[in-house]
Amino acid sequence: MIASLDSGVLDELRAIIGDDDRVLDNLSSRVVRTRVPAPFPVHRWGEHLPHVAVLPTSAQEVSEVVKLANRAGLPVVPRAGGTGLSDGAVPMRGRGGILVDVKLMNKIHEIDLVDRTVTVGPGINMLKLNEELRPHGVFYPDDPASYPCSLVGGRIGTGGWSLLGSRFGHTRDLVISMQVVLPTGEIVEIGEGGGRKLRKSSTGLTLKQLFTGHQGTLGITTEATLELVPKPELEFAAFFAFDDYMTAHRTTGALTRAGLATLAGVVLFDEWKLRYLRRDDEAYIPQPDWVKAVVAVAMYGTRAEVEPASKRVMELGRADGGKYLGDEISEGDWASRHDRYATPLHGRTREGQVVPMSWHCEDAALNYSVLPQVREEWHAIVERYIDEYGIFDDWGMFAYTNGPHKPWADYLVEIDVGIWEQKLDDDNWAGWVACKREIAEVALKYGGSITACHGATREGDAELVPTEMGSAWEVVKRIKAALDPNNVMNPGKQMMDESYE
Amino acid sequence: MSIFRLGDQKPPEPKRINDDVIERFEHVYEVNPEKMQTFPQQDMPAWDTMRIVAARWDHLAWMHKHFADDVLLAGLGSETMPEEEETR
Repeated sequence: MIASLDSGVLDELRAIIGDDDRVLDNLSSRVVRTRVPAPFPVHRWGEHLPHVAVLPTSAQEVSEVVKLANRAGLPVVPRAGGTGLSDGAVPMRGRGGILVDVKLMNKIHEIDLVDRTVTVGPGINMLKLNEELRPHGVFYPDDPASYPCSLVGGRIGTGGWSLLGSRFGHTRDLVISMQVVLPTGEIVEIGEGGGRKLRKSSTGLTLKQLFTGHQGTLGITTEATLELVPKPELEFAAFFAFDDYMTAHRTTGALTRAGLATLAGVVLFDEWKLRYLRRDDEAYIPQPDWVKAVVAVAMYGTRAEVEPASKRVMELGRADGGKYLGDEISEGDWASRHDRYATPLHGRTREGQVVPMSWHCEDAALNYSVLPQVREEWHAIVERYIDEYGIFDDWGMFAYTNGPHKPWADYLVEIDVGIWEQKLDDDNWAGWVACKREIAEVALKYGGSITACHGATREGDAELVPTEMGSAWEVVKRIKAALDPNNVMNPGKQMMDESYE
Repeated sequence: MSIFRLGDQKPPEPKRINDDVIERFEHVYEVNPEKMQTFPQQDMPAWDTMRIVAARWDHLAWMHKHFADDVLLAGLGSETMPEEEETR
């Protein structure tokens, strides 16, 4: 268990925040801000607790809290929705610190329908934001599988991926500029250059990308100016079944190379995923045994664009033997993709018994050409760990188009693994970490990245960050040390402690 | 005050779909209770099952409206289960 915080620091925090209800050092407030939905070493929960959680309402408050952390030598852990599938928002074991929960910074500051931007606090959720935008005929198209529950600040911190990214881009493409509290407490405006509503400039250095996807290690976003797109007139979704994976893989490639500008995403489900869905998903349970792979396509845009493009999708989806799964599944299953966190979490033991399992979604970024081979190697790894530990369950793989506006060549690839958390102890947790590491090593072997969107902040991934960064790792360490001289901002994440060696 | 009584609306006897799945209401699937010996299945009255199913469909319909003004479909039934489509 983490030791208590010095009372002098608590008094200073209360003076900064000015409202004792937003400085939370009671156990329950800290326990609920310790983990995220990804599997967690529940047997060591107490060792991951923050010392205290604060809920600021302004950039000035965040700044003063960060300055205090520098004076007191305490870690700062930024947290938004806490819905991530890695540990960006989870305090490192044994370090505690001040957890900065930005949920109350959830205001819409400005909707600009002329220059097409919306400026928000980091605590707003995309679903709520879009409800406010709807009467204006505009839309913020950042659409993760956690759409109903994740928050803008977390999306920026993790460099989130969107289901609609092939059409509209991912989080980093949709953030135009932002206000950031640096690890030393200064408040800075980060954008492309010039004013906060410019999408492109060539002045100075392009800093915006540096402050998206840093996993909370370089600062806390306190305001963001986001892209607005016209609300799509039409959605079209179509799902196709295949009797073998390789045909589905070829069809996926054909669809992504078709040059359809309204294509928002193509998803390839593998044989293991079909086995899992046929066991546990209402849409697939009645499907015949010959269905071994599925390709899903979604398009968004104007009626003038989507209607003719839908006909081309229907041709391409069936050109190589694909069978249309029907309107009902195409409509219903695509809608469910926006909200995968509603999935019931149970898995099976080797004996087939149902047990409660949490969902681990191990992701990677991989090129199209290597998907078939990586799939075989990943499943073989998980199979070995299922046999050895008996608390895991292979829920199959997806490959989603990953290139923003360019869907044809690389994919967010995920293997979903169920984990019976109640059985976790040090040995079983070490087994899981080793399994994760092997999966990540395969991604690197095939020229991929160990994560396309979740972040490499967890044991099993984090150790490989220097390897993946290669010769750029020295640059990363220099940037971290320069911006965070006292190593207070989410310290220890992604092996960045090496910046201080 | 309403009181929960399972007997008020007991679900119909299940039909076996496959080794893993049973069906008590059309297109509403449940895990085969034989697979739930470690964590036994909870008893639920029929109205509660139907409430959950209806809420799920409401949610999916709402999702479509949220992301686009209209949904375009191919206008075709299933090509993997043509027999089932014909019986509808």
